[in-house]
This record gives sequence, structure tokens and C-alpha cells, in this order.
Amino acid sequence: MKKMTRDDLEKCAQNTCQSTQYIKVGMSTCGIAAGAQDVFDIFAKEVKTRDINVNVCKTGCIGMCHAEPVVEVAVEGLPAVMYGGVTKEVALRILEEHVCGKRFVNDHIFDLPVRR
Amino acid sequence: MVKAKINGITVNVPEGTTILEAAEKVQIKIPTLCKHPDLPPTASCGICIVKLVGSNKMLRACCTPIEENMDIITHDPEIVEVRRTVIELILSKHPNECLTCGRNGNCELQKLAEEFGIRTSAFQQFLPDIPPDTSTGTIVLEPRKCISCGRCVTVCQQNQNVWALCFMDRGFGTRISPAGDGVSLSESPCVKCGQCSAHCPTGAIFENDDTAKVWKALQDKDTYCAVQIAPAVRVAIGEAFGYKPGANLTKKIYAALRRMGFNAVFDTNFGADVTIVEEASEFVQRFTETPEKLPLITSCCPSWVDFMEKFHPDMKENFSSCKSPHAIVGVLAKTFFAKKRRIDPANMFVLSVMPCTSKKYEITRSDEMYSSGYQDVDVSITTRELARMIKQAGININDISEEEPDHVLGEYSGAATIFGVTGGVMEAALRTAYDYITGGKLKNVEFENVRGIEGVKEGAIPVNGFTVKVAVAHGLSNVEYVLNKVKEAKRAGKELPYHFIEVMACPGGCIGGGGQPYGITDEIRKKRGEGLYDEDHNCKLRYSHENPFVKKLYEEFLDKPLSEQSHHLLHTTYVKRPEYQK
Amino acid sequence: MEKKVILIKDTGFKSDTTRDIQSLFLKAIRDIGAEESIQIVRAADLGIYNQGVVVKILPDNTVYTHINSDNIDQIVKAVHKGEVLENLLLKDRVEQTRIVLRNCGVIDPENIEEYFSKGGYTSIAKCLFDLTPAKVIKEMKKSGLRGRGGAGFPTWMKWSFAANSFGDEKYVICNADEGDPGAYMDRSVLEGDPHSVIEGMTIAGYAIGAKHGYFYIRAEYPLAIERVENALKQAYERGLLGKNILGSDFSFDLEIRLGAGAFVCGEETALIASIEGKRGTPNPRPPYPTDSGLWKKPSIINNVETLANISAIFQKGGDWFSSIGTEKSKGTKVFAVTGKVKNSGLVEIAMGTSIKDIVYNIGGGVLNEKQLVAVQTGGPSGGVIPKKHLDTPVSYEHLQELGSIMGSGGMIVMDEDDCMVDISKFYLKFCVDESCGKCAPCRIGGYQMLSILNKISEGEGELEDMDKLHRISQAMQKASLCALGQTAPNPVISTLRYFEDEYKQHIIDKKCRAGKCSKLIQYTINPDKCKRCRLCVTNCPVSAITGDREHGYTIDQEKCIRCGRCFEVCKFEAIARV
Repeated sequence: MKKMTRDDLEKCAQNTCQSTQYIKVGMSTCGIAAGAQDVFDIFAKEVKTRDINVNVCKTGCIGMCHAEPVVEVAVEGLPAVMYGGVTKEVALRILEEHVCGKRFVNDHIFDLPVRR
Repeated sequence: MVKAKINGITVNVPEGTTILEAAEKVQIKIPTLCKHPDLPPTASCGICIVKLVGSNKMLRACCTPIEENMDIITHDPEIVEVRRTVIELILSKHPNECLTCGRNGNCELQKLAEEFGIRTSAFQQFLPDIPPDTSTGTIVLEPRKCISCGRCVTVCQQNQNVWALCFMDRGFGTRISPAGDGVSLSESPCVKCGQCSAHCPTGAIFENDDTAKVWKALQDKDTYCAVQIAPAVRVAIGEAFGYKPGANLTKKIYAALRRMGFNAVFDTNFGADVTIVEEASEFVQRFTETPEKLPLITSCCPSWVDFMEKFHPDMKENFSSCKSPHAIVGVLAKTFFAKKRRIDPANMFVLSVMPCTSKKYEITRSDEMYSSGYQDVDVSITTRELARMIKQAGININDISEEEPDHVLGEYSGAATIFGVTGGVMEAALRTAYDYITGGKLKNVEFENVRGIEGVKEGAIPVNGFTVKVAVAHGLSNVEYVLNKVKEAKRAGKELPYHFIEVMACPGGCIGGGGQPYGITDEIRKKRGEGLYDEDHNCKLRYSHENPFVKKLYEEFLDKPLSEQSHHLLHTTYVKRPEYQK
Repeated sequence: MEKKVILIKDTGFKSDTTRDIQSLFLKAIRDIGAEESIQIVRAADLGIYNQGVVVKILPDNTVYTHINSDNIDQIVKAVHKGEVLENLLLKDRVEQTRIVLRNCGVIDPENIEEYFSKGGYTSIAKCLFDLTPAKVIKEMKKSGLRGRGGAGFPTWMKWSFAANSFGDEKYVICNADEGDPGAYMDRSVLEGDPHSVIEGMTIAGYAIGAKHGYFYIRAEYPLAIERVENALKQAYERGLLGKNILGSDFSFDLEIRLGAGAFVCGEETALIASIEGKRGTPNPRPPYPTDSGLWKKPSIINNVETLANISAIFQKGGDWFSSIGTEKSKGTKVFAVTGKVKNSGLVEIAMGTSIKDIVYNIGGGVLNEKQLVAVQTGGPSGGVIPKKHLDTPVSYEHLQELGSIMGSGGMIVMDEDDCMVDISKFYLKFCVDESCGKCAPCRIGGYQMLSILNKISEGEGELEDMDKLHRISQAMQKASLCALGQTAPNPVISTLRYFEDEYKQHIIDKKCRAGKCSKLIQYTINPDKCKRCRLCVTNCPVSAITGDREHGYTIDQEKCIRCGRCFEVCKFEAIARV
């Protein structure tokens, strides 16, 4: 692989490489212990079978252990929000109602621990 | 130099001096249980704590280097209180068995408890239930009495490079143990040097007490009891009776042994003279006939032999096959002497009094130790055990008059007596070998190069236009340096760095042996060494081969050095031994 | 146009009116015909507590509190028009400040590109090309960053000692041997943002002149190890580690060493011994690791959290960093808030935030509306902070004054069901188990103290035992070799200081207020309240409850193991604990 230079780094810092439509699953030890792997798998599988244009990715621990597994969802036209206590069933609802139906899912939204 | 204050007294000491050492310079004794002058600090007991003026924290005096302008307090009510609590804590995990303990009267923990006036047990006692390890028959490990100071582990690993002892488990369950789970000391790499026992502050490691066997033999009317004392014993045993280190008590010991009931009192030094005659002949033979078998390495130290057999078996061809002096006296007592006196060797009991724990192992280490047809030496006891026996026998060693040894195994040269100190065997052998090779006498018989307490000493002696290079190492950790040099040169096909090497397992040689009176320091090693060098210096006989009784031995019994008879009686063999026997 | 979302949540204690309010909002939205542009959603948690009904409007992040049915129309109209209702606005919201956790839960830790997108590795570039090592240390001094491992030693000082120390080799060690019970921020950082630690170590290496570094990670953190390994691979591939980093003259290699999880190996000298392959026991200092550390070479050992701060400092400047926090404690601190708190988890706050704010405003308060009794910080080396001191701001100095320490960042909330003797026992037991056994005060002192505490909790205590606890504590604090032993008595000393009465209650009255010390409690059945449902009988694990429906039931005190199962299952409060 090509070795990077300082310029390369500064160019990279300008890019937001994350896509605008994403489902980010908190996948640190705490999240995985609470069932995040299953949630990640179901998102990945459903997005593929239903051919939805959304990027399913993993991230580290955001610190909200009481709400694990947590998932951050962003789709075009809606503000990004964080869902907590996401079971397989909730994951499916998020896909159907939020990602496809553009309607937020009741009772699972948690405030982000810090304003971005 | 660093200038600081201790209890208001100004001290000027070299940089790197610890607070503990600096305090000693101004007559302040900071108590400690784990620091030993021979060893780097383990910093484990927590008793040597001191304060800095204006600071709340306490520092360990044993391992904290004194710094410029430090203002140190070594004793105040708070410090003493903390020390007392720590001692009480240590006592809460130490059995109250002082009266039946081998260290009763010279235990460092007992002494501290006495100094601090501890009269009640403040805390509940929790004693570990670990059985003693008596497997080696030389050193006994009693972990119940261990205070985990770490001296034995440090001396075994750092000074002796044997790594037989280690700490096992952790926390409250921490214990000293042979390295390896479920391994006994005899199955471990232990070479029985006993340095652990010489450094233990309590009764957790001590020599296997064989005195009962000796008393039993002495009580049996049908047994002819002979005894011999090693060179290093004579200048150390006095410490157990209030003499200064180095005081030479040879002839008082002879007298005491006779009073205890020994029929014949010999001296291991006679055996040392024989060893030299054989070993010097061996050296001359290799030097002139088979130089590929050089360097010649001394073999009188059984721990060194055990170390070599375990860790450097490739060097076994280089070892002198000659037995150690006490083994020679043992076999000669049951053959040469027995024949002369018409005693049935089957009824003979030969005791060796040694500065050494390893000699207890050596007397049965191979078949050659039975070359008289019987076990050549029946029992070997340490200096410490003899001191106790003399006390038990009610003998006032201070006032007893001096006596002479019994012939024909009692006379010795000055070359023999310096066997007890590092460099001595080398020096003695060179005196004789020089004569053998050149047919002439040395101008100066005292080899300053190989004397002293430096770990490795090197020297070169011109012999007939050729330079004989020698090395002396003591303390097993110093061996690697010397052996590596030899091995490297051999590998590279280069000239040998040494032709003759002396190794003693214990620092200082036998005078610092594992069976010597407690409290060893370099200062004491020096004093004991001086005691032996003085005796050599004042001896008329300075050459082993000139000992008239040695000459007589060859004339009447052995024919000549390295003869068939001497090979049969005075030489041994070496084998490769596994480091772990499990 | 982006859709507006109104999140609502009733943050009151008693009842949840969220659903009712939601219908009112729905109606109001429908009334103005804004169903398509405004959605009203019930939130699970808005991070705001005890403020009545709260709404948060996204994407503006406007928060209104104490809403009632009268405000609803007004709010909906304002949202629709994009206006703000000043009178309802939440003021002085306690918020987290995220520096260490800036990327955790944001980026994909396994994708270096995402770290780049957050300005990753621009700090090392800046150091390598714009700053001399001395200037790097100067910037660190300006930032005022202090070690986050517990003791709070100024990081720049450690670096400058090592920089000025002579050695052909020097080492940078990342201490990831996190071992305090209940603390896991280091794990989260390594799992969530491994590159920030790598970058921090590389900067440290450049500053002190080291060519080599080690991650010392406990083997119990398999995912952290995996992610660090992956991150190292990515950094090497791109020339951000190894020879001539970014084409500069500076070369730096990093590798991982696994620890077996001994708590004492978090102590610098024991950690070094462990990396060297020796028994993990502490060694006397001096010599300090910055003079003679790993393999007797000058070494610095920095904690994960400390290292994660570094690249942020060089991105935004030392002045920026030192503008956060208190006079002597700069920046932020991550706490793992656990125990009887509603929102357990990782919290990163600016130094100076009060413990009360952490527990009540960020943590959401005590579970089940019970009374808070104390907060424990600093894990087994720390102490308890009683309720009356909850306003104390978090800083190294303030916590120490109260007899606790910052420690690595464990914060455990305790309520009325927690017994202070039991808590002391718990922490002390931890240290007794984890003591390496090298030095006598810690090895024996801890064990003796624990046996005394056991005695007290079993009703066998005597008043003089409290003196003994003090005496052994003093000896351990003053005479132990390392911080483990020196601080192990802290939980006991601090509970004795603030909850002496509770100890006396155990010793004199033979009672445990919290009902935790099983030898001091008894369960009995109140026949007046008992409905003879037999639930306790079927749940008792040792069949200690006997009787029949006619005569009622009794607990055989000989058989009872005081597990409390009957007490928990009884629906009629018929079981009494005395």
C-alpha cells in the first residue's frame, strides 16, 4: 500500500467518508454482550434482501450502557437519532417505519450524550 | 558526594548511598528484616521506613538513595509505631515455635520482636499449612516459618544463577518454593550450596541436622570414630563462641573433638595436599601431553560439580577427576589408615565437618564415594552443627588447651589451608605445578592476583617461557562469564583464554559456605580469608607435595600421583544430570 | 425541507403522562395541517430529569421543560414557524464534554479512513514537521494534562524526565491493564477509537526520543486487542508507524504485550516486570521508569485515557485544552458510572463538574427513587463520598480532600440498601486477592483487616477492632511498597470516617441497617399480613418455611440461610426483615 504523506492526511480530514444514509450499531464489548451482533446481522441481512440504500456499519461504545444495544440512524430528510434497547423486533420496526417510512419509532429514542 | 541530614546529623556520603547505609555511618541503626548486605534490596519487609521532614510519606531506607539536602528522620513515635505494627503483622503469620526452632537465639525476627518489646499477639494468628521439604537431605525448606523477605530467592537466582527457588502463588498465600508446581527441592535445579540457608533471617531454610547420627556413632563402643575438619571451619566456628571472624581455632577444635569422644582427629587439609598433588599432576599432564583437554577446571566444590552436571555437561571432560579433599581423607581413613592401625573399616565411622551443606550430598553422589568398599565418609555436618555439638557436650572452647591432630592424616601445608578461600586451590596447585614443570621453586608463592573477593579474578604465570593463564570465579553467577569465554574461543578455534580455572559455588569460597555461622558479609569473608592466609604465611610448609606425610602416603600406599591405585581411590567421574528430575 | 421532530418525555417520578400528551400534540399538529412536516415521537430518554414533561425539537436541539396542555398549541406553532419560545427553554443544562470519547460511538473503529475524516493523524504530522520534541513537551505543559491512571502526575513532566534521561533506547508504554472493579473506559476507548491511542503514543515517542512502544493490554479484553491489532496493521500499511513516518526522519514501532490480568500489573514497575517476562511484582522507586524502566532503559508509562487526549491537544492546541476544567485539573475525565444509578454507562465531563450533576443530571438519579447514601470513586484505592459532599466538584484535589481519589474513573452510586461494612469488605477483599504478596504490610495487613471486617459483619466485632483497623491502615499506608498496598485501606478508612455509626451499629447493636450482613438479620412472617399464598414456601431454596394454610407459616431460623428470597417474592409485605 502507498505510504501516506501529510497532504494525504489533510485531504482525508476534509472528506466525510460516511454516507448520508447509515445505520450505526454500537459494537463494543458492552454492546455485543447486550445483543448488538444479532441486531447488526439482522440490519445487514434485511438491507440486502430489501435492497435499501443505507449503509450498515459498526462503531464503538458511546457510553450508554443502560440503553444497549444502541443504534444511530440517519436517513435523508430526517435528523439523525439514537435508538436504545434495540432488539431484533425493534430493528425491524426501525427499518420499516424509520428508514423506509420516514417516521420515527416511538419509545426507543435516546438523547445523544453530547451535542454533535 | 552528597550532603544530607539524618536526625539532624550532617552526613557526607558518595552518590548512590542508600539512606540505610548513610545512617550506619553516623551510628544510627535502622531496623530491617529483608535487607542483607550481600544482596540488592528486595524492599519487602517494610520495617526500614523513614520520614523526610515536612513530608507525610515514608520511604524505605534500604533502597532509597540519599539525595542532596534530604532531611531525614529515622526514629520518631509514629515511625516506631508503624514498625511495631508491621512486626506484629509478620508475627501473626509466623509460628510461635521459637523454643524448638533451629534459629532460636540467632533469629533476626526474634531479635526485632525482643527489641520492640512485643509481649502480646495483637492480631489473630493465621498459619499456612505447608509441610517442610526435606527431599535433598542437605537443606530443609520450612515455608511455614518464611516471612517472604525474598533473600533466598534473590541469592538463588541473582547471586547463584541457579533459579531453584522462587515465589509461588500471591497475596497472603505467597510462599517460597522450588521453582515448579509440585516439584520438590531435590527434583529442582538446586545445587545444595545452602546460600539460601545462610541468608535466611528466620528458621525457614536450614541445614538438615545430622548431629543425632554423630552422637549415636560416638556412643557405640564398637565403632571407631574418626573426624576431619575442613579448612574454612577453623576460621569461622569461633564466631559462634564470641570470637572475632577469622580467629583460627584449629587446635582447640581438635581438642574439643577428642573430648567429644572421637578416636582419631584428622584434618581435611591433609586431603587438600593430596588433591593438589593429584590435580597438579593432572594439569601438568594435560599441559604437556594433551593440551586439547585444557582448560582444567577444579572440582572440589560439590555444588559447582552439580551445577556443571546440570547446566554445562559439555564441560565435564575439562573437570579434574580428582575427588575433593574430605572425600580423599574419608577413603584414606578407611583404607590406608585402617590398614596401618589394623582397624576393620566396617567398624569405622568417618565424620566430615564442613562449611558446606552440599557435602552432605556429595558423600553419596556416585559409586566412587564408596571406593574403600564402604561409604567413605559416613556423615557430613556443617560448621553450625559442630558449634551446637560442642555446646551440647559442655565444652568451654575458650579455655580448652590446644591439641595436635592424629597422624597419618593430620599434617598439612599452608597451600592446603588456603583451599578454604576463593583462589586458594588455584594458588596451591600453581605452586606445585610450577615445581613439577620447571623443577624449580617460585620466587613468590603468594599469588595476589587470584586473592580477594572480586567475582572473577584472572592471572598469568610465566612457566618455562610459556604463559599459564588462569581464572578464578566464585559465586555461581560469575561462572558464565568465564565459561562463555572458553566456549567462544573453542568455537572460533582461537587460543584458550585460560588454561586452569577454579570455581567455588559460594561467594568468597568455602569461608562463605552455606553451612557457616550466620551473619555473613563481605567484611566477614575478608576476615575469615585473612585467617587462612595468615596460617599459610606462617606455615613452614608452603608446598603440598612437600608434606612429609603425603610423600609417605605415596611411598607406602599409592605409588605415585595418577597411579592406578590413586585413580581407583582418589578419582571420580561425572555424568550429565537433568535440571529437573521430574 | 428537513422534517422537524418533537421528542417528548415525562420526566416526573410518579406517573408517565407521555402518551396523553402525545395525543394532544398529534391533535395540535393535525389542526394546523402539518402532519407531513412535523412528527411527534415518544422518546425513551432525553437526558433531562425531574423537569416535568420535556420536549426536544430536532434538528434544532431546542429543549422545553415543564410543559402542560396549555403550551402545546404554542409549541407546535413555533416549531412550524421555526421560532423559539424563550420562556419554556431549558437553561443551564449539564452536558458532557467529550474529548477522550470524541470518536467513540461515532466512527467505525476498524476503518482508519473514518479516523482520518476526524482529523486523525494530523497531530502527529504537525508534531513531526512543525514542532521539535521540546516544543511538543512545551505544548503538553501548556495543556496541563495530568495522568488519568489515578495519581494525576503531570504528563509533560513525565515526558520531559524521559526526554532528558540518557539512553540509547527509550520506550513508550500504554498501560491498558485496567483493573478497578466497575471501570471500563480504557476498554471502550481501545475498542471505539484505537487510532487515537496509537497517535498519542507516537507523539509521546517523538517527544521523548523513543523508537519503540508497547501496548500492555490485559488478555481479558479480546475485542480491544483485536481492534488494536487491526489498527496497528492499518497504520503500518499507510506508513503511520514503522520506518520514516510520513516520510520524516522519525521511526516508531509499536507492539502488543498481553497481561494476565493481575491488578498489581497496573503499577508501573510491576507492569515493566511483567513485560520483561518476570513475576509481576513492584520494585522500589527510585530508580523511576523515566530513568531506568523497561530493560533498564528510560520509559514512560501512560494510561489509555491520557494518551487518547493527546492528538486532540495537538489538533486544537494546549490553550484550548487548559481552558477546560479547574485551575489544577485540566480537561475532562471519563467516569464509568455504575451501581444504583438509572443511566449506568460512560460519562465524560469537564473537570469541576459536581458529583451531584453527574449522578442526577447525567446519570438520571438513583434507581427506584431510593435515597442516595454515598458515591464511591477511585475503586479499591478510593473512598466513599457521603451525600452531604455531593456538591464537590470533580478534580484531583477535591476528591483527595474528601479522603477519596479520582482513580482511574470508577464511580459507584450507593443507596440505602448498601451496607458500608459490606462495601469495605468488598473492596478490601479485592485488594487482598490482588496483592502480589511481596511486601509484608500489604500481604498480611490486608488479610488481617479483612478478617476483622468479617468478624464485625458477623456480629463478632468488638470496639477495639476499630482501633486495630486504624492501626493496620496506618501501617499499610506508610509502609507498603506500592500504591496498591498504600491505598488498599482507603475504602475502610473513608467508611470509618463518614459512617462510624454504622460500624458501631454492627459491633454494639449487632444490626445491619441495609440488611446486607446476613448473620445480623432475621426474616420472619407477619401472620396478620400473610395471605397464605405459599409463594415464599415454594421459593425458599432450603425449605426453611413450614406450616399449612390453616395455621399459617413460620421460618425455621436454624435452617434459614438469609438469602432474602422470601422477602423479595412476597407480594403482601408479610415477610419482615429485622
